[in-house]
Amino acid sequence: MTVDLNQTPLRYGGAYDELSADGVTPRPHWAHLMQSLKAIGPDELGRRWARAERRIRENGISYNIYGDPLGASRPWQIDIVPLLIPADEWRTIEAGIIQRAQLLNLMLEDLYGPQNLVRSGHFPATLLYANPAFLRPLVGVPVPAHSYLHMLAIDLARSPDGQWWALADRTQAPSGSGYALENRTIIADVFPNLFRESNVLRLAPFFRAQREVLTNLCQRDNPRIVLLTPGPLNETYFEHSYIARYLGFTLVQGADLTVRKRRVYLKTVAGLEQVDVILRRVDDSFCDPLELRGDSLLGVAGLVDAVVAGNVKIANALGSGLIETAAIMPFLPGLCNELLGEKLKLPSVATWWCGQKYALDWVLDHLDSVVVKPAFPSRSMEPVFGADLPHSEKTKFLERLVARPNEYVAQEQVALSTAPMWDNGQLNSSSVVLRTYVLNTGSGWVAIPGGLVRVAEAEGSVVSMQRGGHSKDAWVLWDSPVDTFSLLRPRNEPVELRRVPRVVPSSVADNCFWLGRYVERAENIARILRAMMTRVRRAEEAELGCLIRLHSCLESRHSKLPKAKHRRPTAADLELELISLVTDAKRPDSLICTLAEVFRIGGNIRERLSSDMMFLIGQLRDSIHAGQGTPFLEFPSLLTDCLGLLSAFSGMERENINRGLGWYFMTIGRRVERAIYLTRQLREITSPLAEQDWSLLECVLEVADSSMTYRTRYYTTLQPLAVLDVLFADETNPRSLDFQLSHLAELYQKLPRHLPVDSKAMRAALQLLRSFDLQNLNYALPGAAEPSGFDGLARLSNFLRELGGLLPSWSNNLSSRYFSHARTLPITIGQ
Amino acid sequence: MIYKIVHRTTYRYKHPASVGNHVACLKPRTTAHHQSARSHLTIHPRPATRTERVDFFGNDLCFFTIEEPHRVLEVEAQSEVNVEGNPLPWPQPSMPWEEAVNSVLSDHSPDGLEAYQFQFESPRIRVRPEFAAYALQSFTPRRPMPEALLDLTSRIHHDFQFDSKVTNVRTTPEEVFKKRRGVCQDFAHVQIACLRSLNISARYVSGYLRTYPPPGKPRLVGADASHAWVSAYCPGIGWLDVDPTNNIVPSDGHVTLAWGRDYGDVSPLRGLILGGGAHTLRVGVDMEPLDVESNSSLVAVDT
Repeated sequence: MTVDLNQTPLRYGGAYDELSADGVTPRPHWAHLMQSLKAIGPDELGRRWARAERRIRENGISYNIYGDPLGASRPWQIDIVPLLIPADEWRTIEAGIIQRAQLLNLMLEDLYGPQNLVRSGHFPATLLYANPAFLRPLVGVPVPAHSYLHMLAIDLARSPDGQWWALADRTQAPSGSGYALENRTIIADVFPNLFRESNVLRLAPFFRAQREVLTNLCQRDNPRIVLLTPGPLNETYFEHSYIARYLGFTLVQGADLTVRKRRVYLKTVAGLEQVDVILRRVDDSFCDPLELRGDSLLGVAGLVDAVVAGNVKIANALGSGLIETAAIMPFLPGLCNELLGEKLKLPSVATWWCGQKYALDWVLDHLDSVVVKPAFPSRSMEPVFGADLPHSEKTKFLERLVARPNEYVAQEQVALSTAPMWDNGQLNSSSVVLRTYVLNTGSGWVAIPGGLVRVAEAEGSVVSMQRGGHSKDAWVLWDSPVDTFSLLRPRNEPVELRRVPRVVPSSVADNCFWLGRYVERAENIARILRAMMTRVRRAEEAELGCLIRLHSCLESRHSKLPKAKHRRPTAADLELELISLVTDAKRPDSLICTLAEVFRIGGNIRERLSSDMMFLIGQLRDSIHAGQGTPFLEFPSLLTDCLGLLSAFSGMERENINRGLGWYFMTIGRRVERAIYLTRQLREITSPLAEQDWSLLECVLEVADSSMTYRTRYYTTLQPLAVLDVLFADETNPRSLDFQLSHLAELYQKLPRHLPVDSKAMRAALQLLRSFDLQNLNYALPGAAEPSGFDGLARLSNFLRELGGLLPSWSNNLSSRYFSHARTLPITIGQ
Repeated sequence: MIYKIVHRTTYRYKHPASVGNHVACLKPRTTAHHQSARSHLTIHPRPATRTERVDFFGNDLCFFTIEEPHRVLEVEAQSEVNVEGNPLPWPQPSMPWEEAVNSVLSDHSPDGLEAYQFQFESPRIRVRPEFAAYALQSFTPRRPMPEALLDLTSRIHHDFQFDSKVTNVRTTPEEVFKKRRGVCQDFAHVQIACLRSLNISARYVSGYLRTYPPPGKPRLVGADASHAWVSAYCPGIGWLDVDPTNNIVPSDGHVTLAWGRDYGDVSPLRGLILGGGAHTLRVGVDMEPLDVESNSSLVAVDT
């Protein structure tokens, strides 16, 4: 197939075609791209598209869908053909959105200040007082540099006559700029030559400016800036972590912050650190449960008071959601004239706020040509397309409008312009909306050149990422040299060398610790299961007993084996149990669940992990792809694959992570978990083993990946004491208990504010461990009379039992010392 | 009449709370009819920070934080208020209620705008057809606003039964309307919902009500209670207070603490604590007329 304009259905009736005026010849600014696509050819385009898709999956770029029962995050969907905007046209758009941003900012300043616009009637009082987004506690609170809006997003659509219109304004916590950046990185990679030749305006200067603006909001040197996210379940969490990483801010949730003495502090493992600037992605009213919504678990109690005291800057200012309603659109031309003394450059799409009598009357008469939306954010209501309403429902709907007109806004349905889209090997066209971004630098406004293009699923439908639409990159084709700076690849300018350790919020340390524990747990489970699965089919009676003892090392609370007191489990019982332990997603102790937990915890700190690590974690989650029909004999190799990935992860953990506090917590988690499993297995072999049960020794060596070590030392003779030496006392073996304890004690001591009593207990345990003289231990066979004075084995067994209790208590103490205050949710009283 | 008011709130937590962020709305407002002479807030344990702020509605708020582990929080507000006899009698006749509603709509004066904001739904009060239907029985066509208002107050008083067992601070007006039972907060919410359903501006007033001991018995300390009633706006006259719980027009027995759109704006003491677990709450209010000498045998009780 060749890309041929004549063969592709590029025109919807009436809509503006971005690509071509006549449906045949591309507009001049598209010519080069179309030629390039033709030259690249559909096969190669298909390959590049697949590569981009793979990269999205690997980088874990995702978008969470609300209401998905699995809480699934869906891979970001991107179309490889960018939307092209010529320089002149961009200048017009830019002037329009910047003027609109200025206007909206001035409106907020007045509405949260003197309210002259309300008194003079330029802004309807109803839109203020009936709007739940009007935050009364913020009235009269000065905002630094008059910057209510630090950044805002404006959605644009192009009508059939070629004019761009504003569809919506996002004023409180606009999302999508991070996705725009990610799209750019991917598409510039898909078309490296084309991108270079097209002289595209770069995005990085915008983000550099954003970082500078936020840094300058505060007078202090090296201000602490955090990005406040609602958390991993939020639809755009990926973007929050992406932007935090790109701009170098600390990603936090409400529970990570606390207000003390009217200042905001970040709870870190080293103590409280003052926060100067909050870039927020939490909606206005959820930011402070004390003064705003009392039921919010996402905010910080006392935040408003800290703002009032002038001790923290929030971008965008609290309360900016007030004008995030289409209901203000009919008033913008008048307000623009009043506040800026200018004509509104960028018109809004025709909008009727039903709170005005004439507007309501018009809407009642023309319901078929409009889409009706809620005027205020608190009302949950899907947009209603008048033309789609069945006749029977129409009367009822009109009654609703008449009963509470203030709460509805009607907008003209725009025939969105169409742009080419790569779709299964050919170019189709689809409707697009351009989300633009404007940044307030304090001394002026700058726009992201281009923005995030969202693609409608079908003609006439609502464009929404929530409904699973695609997105595109937007290229502004500039007519003079462009600044090629990128934050990701800094220019060759002198920098001050810094080795400031990154601050580690308590919640991050929490996740690091548990990531370490769960990854290690997954490895132990997989190793134990593999050892059993390779043996269970050929096991005779004695060996089966050994496998059951090995199974008991999992300490499974959800075991499906018959209870020992009823009857002895058969090989078939064990086989079923093992399959369930690998694949049963409903069993919290199964391998598949453990890996899902690894993925979840890893996702919580994705901004701290390299993209390679995130990729591995994703692969791990998908590595157990066994179904009903998977033959039992295939499980061991499945587990081997999984163990390979786990080894790759631990390799990265060792080689690719800075030795900061996060790494300490992760490694401590790993040591604790491995010690717990080791202790259980060692206890199985310190209770006297009959000779026919010595095959358990082989299993335990295999689980601890120490068979080779053993064999090179002792050849093939399995001796309990020799096995004990390798797994218990050998300080050079990274799988030995000695190794776990000595590393644990060493790392724990390095933590700030560590508990001396636990540190001492760890060292004491290690000392005790080293005091055992295995050489002179008498490993008595069961039943044999124990020579008097040789109670060494019993003491050893005792030591292991006590250690089995100490390890979890150290873990608990660590939690309550470093993490629990970040997990506690405040309790509301008096409301 | 001069009152000395002591309002003590005690929270006891099962486990120590490490941090508490609180707002107290316990300082009486100064209005046309009463002056707040003195007001003092004692907080235990000693707060790490304490800030006074006037809120959007003009109420005096006190923000404070406790930053030490504590199992008991005790807040005692002591105030002295001078209440002047009966406010001016309501002028009769006045404009029909429909006209009153319309005139607020077109009034862009500071007072008009101030009143206008109380027409709308607020976090705890929704406007519903059933409220409108109930209110319209009192607000008959062209009836003067004050007369209709008093009629509605009296109907709520008779149709709803005082019952402190069936509702809590979060009970919605819809639920109260269905159950026809509740306490002063609930009746105030219901009446406000009724008035706003007819586009009449109405606000929630929090305050105190003087109670009288049974004849021959001594006055009990702490037997008084914090109270709530309703204020409705009538253009040309101003704000008219009515007390649906007692079917009276507040006079020198009512002391106003604060007003807002609903209970949520003016709850006397609210906050968030970290830790603490389950808690118990005790509130005692004592309202003592300073010109009456009858406090010889005081008995403390908790309400």
